[in-house]
Amino acid sequence: MNRLQRIIKQGAFIALCCTMAACASGPRFSEMSGTIPSLAADSGRIYVYRTTVLGAAIQPSVKVNGEVVGSAVPDGFFYIDRPPGNYKITTSTEVDRDLSLTLDAAQTRYVRLGISMGFFVGHVYPELVDDAQGQSDLGTLHYTAK
Amino acid sequence: MGVPRTIGVAVWCLAGLCAGCAFDVVRLKQSPAQYEAVPATGRTWILNDDLKVTLVSGWATPLKKGTNWRQVGKIKEGDVLTTGNQIVTVEASNLFEAYAVVDGGKVVGFFLPVERSFTPADPPVSIDLRLKD
Repeated sequence: MNRLQRIIKQGAFIALCCTMAACASGPRFSEMSGTIPSLAADSGRIYVYRTTVLGAAIQPSVKVNGEVVGSAVPDGFFYIDRPPGNYKITTSTEVDRDLSLTLDAAQTRYVRLGISMGFFVGHVYPELVDDAQGQSDLGTLHYTAK
Repeated sequence: MGVPRTIGVAVWCLAGLCAGCAFDVVRLKQSPAQYEAVPATGRTWILNDDLKVTLVSGWATPLKKGTNWRQVGKIKEGDVLTTGNQIVTVEASNLFEAYAVVDGGKVVGFFLPVERSFTPADPPVSIDLRLKD
């Protein structure tokens, strides 16, 4: 029995290490927010972030209008500045999940990446959240560059 | 062919069938909309009650009591209203930012500004808006 318990503990420890290794490790938003450049008057900003570590091994690329701009790293965030216009945020696992949104000049939008059950792997999907929720979520997340 | 092998083949066939199925099973019913922006009037309406709108396909964010709404445009189906107080999306297998479309005191559907399309409510529901002072 002791041997079984030891194996279980070791397995849990390894799983925890793997999960931690899969998470973002850059500076936290709260530590670096002062260094993030101000938004240009003729641009908007989109923060993309993932709070959940569930399905940490699944880290699909995040595309904006077809261009890869980052990855869905658990506990991580990144941002992009773009001209005002229409944008489609896409994550791809075994399926594509799209979010379409508008971006105005001087506007900041927050896109949270969630995870749902899939057939073979989980599905990472983008959702638009309000400013208060987005700002609250970002605080403890780590910066992940492209 | 032994029984274990038969079961193995069956499992792989089932997996293949399922994998071949489209996950994008819920498509939002949309029709193109001719959107016409209207000049800002400064008039704002307050939503007096929470409002849940069901769609022909997909789901819409419930509209929250106390949110401020202003008209930004119109389409054939009605006036297009938006709010800065909550995020409004309609969702099927994908998510779309959405503006409410109101006609005759009812939400008749949603306008999708990126897709420039309209998705209808089923049924249209009365909306209780009052003009903000």
